[in-house]
Amino acid sequence: MSDDPATEIRDDEWAIDVAHVTKRFRLQDASRSLKTAAIDLLRRRAPQTFTALDDVSLRVKHGETVGIVGANGAGKSTLLSIIAGTLRATSGTARTRGTVSSLLELGAGFHPDLTGRENVMLYGAIMGIPRETMRRRFDEVVDFAGLEEFIDQPVRFYSSGMYVRLGFSVAVQVDPDVLLVDEVLAVGDADFQRKCLAKMDEFRGRGKSMLLISHDLHTVRRIADRVAYLARGRMLGVGDPLLVSERYMKDSVLEADAALAKHEWGTGEAKFTRAAHLDPATGKEVEGTFECTDDRPAFRLHWHADRRLDDPVVGFSIADTVSGRNVFGSNTQIAGFRIGPIEKGDGSIELRIDASNLQAGEYLLSFSMHSGDHKTNYHRLEHGLQLRVKNRKWFDGLVSLPVQWSK
Amino acid sequence: MQRNASWTKWWELLRILTARNLKIRYKGSVLGFFWSLLTPALTILMYAVFAHILKFNKGQPHYLQFLVSGIIVWGFTVGSLNDSLFSIAGNANLVKKVYFPRAILPLTTALASGVNFLLTFVPLMLYLALTGTLAWGPGLLWLLPAFAFHLALCAGIACLVGTLNVFFRDTQHIVGIGQLAWFFLTPVFYFPQMQLEAAGFLGAWRGLVFLNPMTGVLALYRRGLMGAAEQPLVPPAFAADVPAWWIGVSCAMCLAVLALGVAALRRGDRSFGDAL
Repeated sequence: MSDDPATEIRDDEWAIDVAHVTKRFRLQDASRSLKTAAIDLLRRRAPQTFTALDDVSLRVKHGETVGIVGANGAGKSTLLSIIAGTLRATSGTARTRGTVSSLLELGAGFHPDLTGRENVMLYGAIMGIPRETMRRRFDEVVDFAGLEEFIDQPVRFYSSGMYVRLGFSVAVQVDPDVLLVDEVLAVGDADFQRKCLAKMDEFRGRGKSMLLISHDLHTVRRIADRVAYLARGRMLGVGDPLLVSERYMKDSVLEADAALAKHEWGTGEAKFTRAAHLDPATGKEVEGTFECTDDRPAFRLHWHADRRLDDPVVGFSIADTVSGRNVFGSNTQIAGFRIGPIEKGDGSIELRIDASNLQAGEYLLSFSMHSGDHKTNYHRLEHGLQLRVKNRKWFDGLVSLPVQWSK
Repeated sequence: MQRNASWTKWWELLRILTARNLKIRYKGSVLGFFWSLLTPALTILMYAVFAHILKFNKGQPHYLQFLVSGIIVWGFTVGSLNDSLFSIAGNANLVKKVYFPRAILPLTTALASGVNFLLTFVPLMLYLALTGTLAWGPGLLWLLPAFAFHLALCAGIACLVGTLNVFFRDTQHIVGIGQLAWFFLTPVFYFPQMQLEAAGFLGAWRGLVFLNPMTGVLALYRRGLMGAAEQPLVPPAFAADVPAWWIGVSCAMCLAVLALGVAALRRGDRSFGDAL
């Protein structure tokens, strides 16, 4: 991973040049008044500041697509706003070459009382596009956004999805040299996301530059030539999408570990007391993050029951840490394994999963114990264990499905 | 966005935003922009009716014409002033999302108010013509500098007030009371000679009342509308102390306010994004 991108891209090559940008915000009361300003002045009180960006440098080459990843509050949107010109850097410079179209914080800056049509024309005017040109492109904008029926309605009647669709559509159709996109894919439906990605691909194909923020690392990896990683206002690295996003992921998992990681609920009639990996070599129990070198990682779950339970069921699920989505889940009942009645006191069960078809990455395991009729949930342990699957085979997506080609 | 793009490109945006501003003004109302004609017509009618009933124009020739011309001209000043308060703060969604010269926003409100004002001028001139007080002839050309300086003043105020209100929300309250004081300091409903008499303590310097830009602007308008005989630029009684060129002080003040407004806006532009 290269940490100094500025040296890589020559002066005549960049489309976006961010040099040592620092941005401090003044922390102020919700309503600032003349009175408080006067008091501040009299007391010579320096206003409290918050550093959103700290000496950030980044260059984006002509025709290059760069993704920005980082946790909430890392300064991603601030950086984009400074490049777009809607915020000024406290120090340092941010320059762009050619026309820049931006889609910041979901939406292109529409006026709620104007119709979709009027807003599109207004955006065109802001972008300095002649009215005639904009008229010609108008149908494309509407068509892409899929808003034919609503285009003459005031945008305040639009749903958030419609709003973003029109915003993205117009930002792209003004055909800028540089496109800045902040989390556009988070709102649209699956169909629109696909259209957006296709549009961005086309945009790249025509040699335009793009800088995009996304929390969807899969998208970032797919579309970006390089990825920049921001954390707490600092640029931690710019480089290969896979490497940088993996580093971000690792960091965020560590943080998540401390913060949100475990939570649990249930009646408590039976409770998991311990969840551990089984070391493949020694068979000993290991807690914490487990690196899966064996294709069939094993786990042991210990519980304590307050009373006799007739037909308990133990279940588990594996979630992808990036998307938070469950990859797989099952239980003893589905597997046809009957635990049988358990007595009051301690007990345990062992679980072995074939993880050979799982994509490399970080996963979180959750466990549950409930009655056989699913009516009583004794205990649910969310994110009880972490599993790190090492890269073994190459495929796209989260799971490898059996495939057969023929001719 | 090309930040170094030429100003010609922004003319188009100014035009569109001004049209937008006018459109929103009457959005959803049945009569639409006819209100711009109807409101002043009804205002004039109202003053005429109540002046007749209350006889408050007794003894003053053409007081009613003098009054309504003042009211309508003043209407542009306060209309623009009040609209511009939220010209920037009220467009946060635009300011935070796209870059363009921020001056366009307050200028837009001033321009839209100006266009609206030109419409209100139609019933005013009609009324003056019907009552035989409109001074036909080349004297009407005085209206051109009157409107030009008036527009410059309104644009300057719009920039100043629009900028201040982003950072200090007290601005709107100060503006509310300030405009009442300004109204009384301007010969809208009383005659200019009364203002000069009241400024007697200034002696030979009583012309300083023209430091109030509206004093001169209003004199220019009335000179254009009603002619030199009815409405000389400066009341003849004070011609010795206050020659007509004092009008120029008001004109200069209009430009000074414009310069101040633009300067404030440039200064504020650095942190609009932070404050909104």
